[in-house]
Amino acid sequence: MNDGAAIEEAVRDLVRSRAALARDRSDLPDELPLGAGGLGLDSISLAELLLDCQRRFGIPAPVELLEGPPLTLGRLVAHVRHVAGS
Amino acid sequence: MLGQARNRLSRRWPSPEQVQALLPHLDSFTAARLAWRIGGLEARNRVLVAAIRQAGMDWLRPLVRCPAAFLALRPPLILGMFHVGTLNALGPALERLPGPVLALREGGPLSLPRPPVEVVTPGDDAQSRAAVFYRLLHHLERGGFVVLALDVAPGPAFQVPCLGRMLPLARGPFALARLTGTPLVPLVASWGRGKFDVILGEELAPDLPPGSTGGPDVWENALATTAGRWLEDYLLATPGELGLSLVRTLLGFTGGS
Repeated sequence: MNDGAAIEEAVRDLVRSRAALARDRSDLPDELPLGAGGLGLDSISLAELLLDCQRRFGIPAPVELLEGPPLTLGRLVAHVRHVAGS
Repeated sequence: MLGQARNRLSRRWPSPEQVQALLPHLDSFTAARLAWRIGGLEARNRVLVAAIRQAGMDWLRPLVRCPAAFLALRPPLILGMFHVGTLNALGPALERLPGPVLALREGGPLSLPRPPVEVVTPGDDAQSRAAVFYRLLHHLERGGFVVLALDVAPGPAFQVPCLGRMLPLARGPFALARLTGTPLVPLVASWGRGKFDVILGEELAPDLPPGSTGGPDVWENALATTAGRWLEDYLLATPGELGLSLVRTLLGFTGGS
């Protein structure tokens, strides 16, 4: 498994650990919103997920992702891969 | 019966029976007087809000009295407010805190805040609230004061006992305390003979059994329960500080359900 794939899997595991709706799902599509209409993470769980990413990958918490359109799993993975991999 | 209760609550004055539902130790006469006081407090607070909106806070600043313990506070610290007494008189007090203050307020500031106070509004959805939550967290990590109401819960909440009812308290302040290890101190204000008095509680501590291995939710819930108990003690000691919005909130939740 290359670095990018390992990061992606690690992010997906972090999401599973925060979202009850994702816990037993092996398929988590990239376009799945993490909040309303998707995994249903509440505000604090969303913020904690970003803190998880910060701690796990040693990157600045990707808060800017919260300020755009609804955050999806694919956007989070892409951001972490981009920052952690660079 | 439910409709009758709702109609009564939609008015400014609560009924003596509603006051007695929260404070059953009061006799009918005392409950009627307290109901009248709650209505009067609501009316004065509405006038205060209108005056701040119209004239700003310059006139209010000299009228706000802060205890020495308040002026001696040091950041990082979370100040948790309740909707009792006169919450809106706290603005000038926050300006006297010795450090940057980030205050969370529904609907934004009543008047332009003066440094070191900055006001943020909670978002309308989970994602924008998460962004605000993270901003508050970052502010504490940088050594600031965070000020927010505990008894307004647009997002995740705990139900804690207070005056025989269940009161929803926002989870955010308690999660902030846990994630940053920052103390949480209750803060309210009271009308007092043409002045406003700031009242500061002791630092809240979660009431957990020794060696408790509960998760983050258990710790936060225990801290929220302590906050609810602090509010109950405060209101039992000074029932005239009970605000109308809190009466409505408490009567909207039945004990044990």
